[in-house]
Amino acid sequence: MVDVNEALTRQVATLARLELSDSEVKTFTSQVSQIIHYTEKLQEVNVQGVEPLSHPLELPTFLRPDVVAASPVDSEGKPKVLGSAPEVLYDGFKVPPIL
Amino acid sequence: MNRSIPFRTVRDIHAAFESKKLSPVELTQEYLNAAKKSQTGAYLTLCDDLALQQARAAEGLIQKRGSVPRDEFPLCGIPLGIKDNLTMDGVKTTCASKMLENYVAPYTATCVSRLEKAGAVTLGKLNLDEFAMGGSNENSAFGPVKHPTHPDRVPGGSSGGSAAAVKADLCFASLGSDTGGSIRLPASYCGVVGLKPTYGRVSRFGLVAFASSLDQVGPFAHTVEDAALLMDVMSGHDPLDSTSLPQERMNSVAATRTPPNWSQIRIGVPKEYFVGGLAPAVEESIQRSMRWFEKQGAQLVSISLPHTEYAVSV
Repeated sequence: MVDVNEALTRQVATLARLELSDSEVKTFTSQVSQIIHYTEKLQEVNVQGVEPLSHPLELPTFLRPDVVAASPVDSEGKPKVLGSAPEVLYDGFKVPPIL
Repeated sequence: MNRSIPFRTVRDIHAAFESKKLSPVELTQEYLNAAKKSQTGAYLTLCDDLALQQARAAEGLIQKRGSVPRDEFPLCGIPLGIKDNLTMDGVKTTCASKMLENYVAPYTATCVSRLEKAGAVTLGKLNLDEFAMGGSNENSAFGPVKHPTHPDRVPGGSSGGSAAAVKADLCFASLGSDTGGSIRLPASYCGVVGLKPTYGRVSRFGLVAFASSLDQVGPFAHTVEDAALLMDVMSGHDPLDSTSLPQERMNSVAATRTPPNWSQIRIGVPKEYFVGGLAPAVEESIQRSMRWFEKQGAQLVSISLPHTEYAVSV
C-alpha cells in the first residue's frame, strides 16, 4: 500500500513543475490518498473468467470520404483558429522554445 | 421567479408569438436581462448580439409566413443556453478552465448548429465543473454555480449552469453533457428534466472530450416533451463524429404524447441503492415515485447490482 503523505505530494508537485501552497498540499494529499485507496479497493473484485469489456455497445467505425476541407477562415481570409494564438508567426502559433 | 412571462413549453411560446402577445426579440431580451441580473453564476459568456440577431431572424420568419413554421423550424425563436464545453463559432469555449480562458472556437458543434438551423436562439455559454469533471459545480475556475432556489446548496454538476439556468428562467432550455452523471445529477438537484442519451445518438463533434467512449450531449427542459423535441432536432448521424450511430433523427415528441402501455413496463430497483447513507427526504421521494409507477400499472422488480460499491463516486 502506498503511503500518501505531504512529502510525496510535494515531490510529485516538483516533478510536475507545480507550485502548491501549504493548504493545497493538505487538500491534494487527502484527495490523492482517496484515489489510491479506491484503486486498492478494486483489487478485492474477483474478475476470474470475466472477458475484458471496452464498451457496452458494439459499434463499427463509420468512416467518411477522405476529402480535404478548407480550414475555417475569417473575413480577411486568415485561419480563424489563429484568433486564439497569443502570438502569430507566418499563419502559425508562435510558441516559446522548449528545448 | 418574478417573471412577467413564465413560459414552460415551446407550444405556449409559439402560441404567444402567433397571437402577438410576445415577439422572439422581446423574449430573448427578457432572458438576457434576467441572466445579467442573476446571482446564480450560471453563465460564463452572454452572446447578446448573436442572440438578438437570431431572434430578429425568427421574428422576420413569423411575420413573413403569418405563423410559426413549426415543421421547418421547430425551435423558432426559442432561447437556449449552451454548456461551455460545446463550441460556437466566434464565441469563447472555456470549459470553466483558466487553460482555455481565451480560446475562441473557430467552428460550431454539430448539436448546436442543428438547433440553430431549427430556429433556436443561443443566449450564451453556461458554467460547469472545470472540463466537466465534478458533480457539484463547485469546481469551476470562474466561481461556483449556486442552486437556483436554495443558494446555500449546490446545483449538482458538472452541467450545473445548464440545470440552474433553466430552473431560474435564465434560458428556456439548455444543453449539457454527461459522462458519469453530469446531466442526470444537476437535473435531479434542480428539479428540471434532463436526459443522457444513448451513446452515439448525438454527435460529439464540437464537444470538448472528457472520456470519449462515454460522453454524450443531452437536453435540459421544463417538460419531457420539450426535452424530446431538442433530441429530435439534435440526434442523427453526423459524418464528423465516427462514433455517432448511423440512424436517422429521432421522432420522440410523438411518443411523449402517447401514454405508455404500463403493464409492459418493468422497473428494476437495485437493492444496493438503499443500504444507508441516503438522505431520508431523498429516500422518501424515491419511494413516492416507485408507488406512483406501481399505481400506473408498472411492475417493480428488486434487482441486485453487486458491484455498486466499486463504482467511482462522482
